[in-house]
Amino acid sequence: MLKEKLKRVISHGWTNFHRNSYVSFGTTGVMALVLLLFLGLIAMNFVSGVLVAALENKVDVSVYFKQTTTDDAIMEVKADLEALNTVKTVQYISREEALTLFKERHAQDSLIQESLAELETNPLQSSLNVKAVDTGQYASVVSFLETHKLRTTIDKINFYENEAVIRRVRSISQSAQQWGLIGTLVLAIIAVLVAFNTVRLTIYNQKSEIEIMRLVGGSNWYIRAPYLVEGALYGIFAGVLALIVFYITVGSISPKVAIIMPGVSLSGYFAGNAVQVILLIIAGGVLLGMVSSFIAIRRFLKV
Amino acid sequence: MIDLKNISSIYEDKFIALDDINLKITRGEMVSIVGPAGAGKSTLLRMLTREQVPTAGDVTIDGVNLSSLSSDDIPLLRRKIGTIFQDFKLLSARNAFENVAFALEVVGATSGRIQEDVPKALDIVGLSSKSNNFPYQLSGGEKQRLAIARALIHRPTIILADEPTGNLDMVAGHDVIQLLQKINELGTTVVLVTHNREIVDALSRRVVTMEKGKIVRDQTENGKYII
Repeated sequence: MLKEKLKRVISHGWTNFHRNSYVSFGTTGVMALVLLLFLGLIAMNFVSGVLVAALENKVDVSVYFKQTTTDDAIMEVKADLEALNTVKTVQYISREEALTLFKERHAQDSLIQESLAELETNPLQSSLNVKAVDTGQYASVVSFLETHKLRTTIDKINFYENEAVIRRVRSISQSAQQWGLIGTLVLAIIAVLVAFNTVRLTIYNQKSEIEIMRLVGGSNWYIRAPYLVEGALYGIFAGVLALIVFYITVGSISPKVAIIMPGVSLSGYFAGNAVQVILLIIAGGVLLGMVSSFIAIRRFLKV
Repeated sequence: MIDLKNISSIYEDKFIALDDINLKITRGEMVSIVGPAGAGKSTLLRMLTREQVPTAGDVTIDGVNLSSLSSDDIPLLRRKIGTIFQDFKLLSARNAFENVAFALEVVGATSGRIQEDVPKALDIVGLSSKSNNFPYQLSGGEKQRLAIARALIHRPTIILADEPTGNLDMVAGHDVIQLLQKINELGTTVVLVTHNREIVDALSRRVVTMEKGKIVRDQTENGKYII
């Protein structure tokens, strides 16, 4: 009996959906736009996340050691730094490596090359490049170094020169996250309201039908259920439509984004997370449609 | 079976729609309620379906006081009653078969019973050939006959008809009344609200006359339309 009731409810929901095809088409269209907006927000968050991560990745702190410092001492400092949970990576650059890198970087500059040739000793220092897990943690890394027992072997920590840049990157990344979240919330609320009102208008069109169902003795749930199915159908069709449009758009703009931001693959990201994105959008659409229908129909059931 | 005791209905603007109504209708009766517009006839019917509750007094059907019904019980009451309206109140997105079937679905009938009973009901009202037609594809008389089929399908004990001929021409109106008479002869109580003098006089049954929310005349036998 339950199976038969369920079958009936789904069948009536489908009948409502396809017999009011113009209204259903309009409602599905509006909901698809709303879901597209959500997808757009996901894409925006992804791109801004990649940008902030890239920016943060460029920030590090270099610790330069006095020329007399032994490799063992440097390795000890390196091991101590690596033991900190605020530190992501520590890269050791020996004096020789530093010189090689310097020469490579200035290969075109004959004046520098000549000056270096005239020097008998390597003027560069060994260093450790420290990357923190979070840009806010550089200060603590530096204070750790300042109080380290081998502090005397350290000549210079370039955090003080980089401090302003680090702060700037940190504030950009924080405000990007905050504004991204606020923007997403505001747009999401607007989108939900638009979808809700569209479904409400659609149900309002069927107001007299709902009242008739009540008058011939339909229980509230029996009347409500097909409209919930109808709402879910709007969500499913809108979700599918939005996903098709979105994936086609991503496919076409992804190469252009990759030109502006090398290493950022929009299509790769959305192809890799396709299952989650599809499930999220379809489930979001179904939920939006059903909740809107549920609220919209409530006031017509009071006959 | 229907018992209205000291029923009053006063709207917020102090308009008195029903004023101390007392009326008993026994099982199997066919009663016409007549009176000028605004006399309170339709309000009285709405009391019987619990669309409205009285400001004072008790409405009882088969011993159940309708004021005591919870909102979950209202559908159960309405399933005992078949209602026919002047404006038909058909489901426009469903065809004739589905309109009738709906009244069975809400009482939890099986698909087998629906497939068996709906064609019979459509046959009784002469709409067998139009079971796939939507309400907009039917004439006024056909719409009302469809509404009657829907009202009949779950074998209610009471049929309430609110101006069922109000939107119909004379011939279609006559057909509808003949159908209601047949239904009554099979044992169903019929309460008919109408303005139509010819119909009431031709029926020659109990006639209750209302005016300004009061019952001013109750002719229990061979009643005539007198205002």
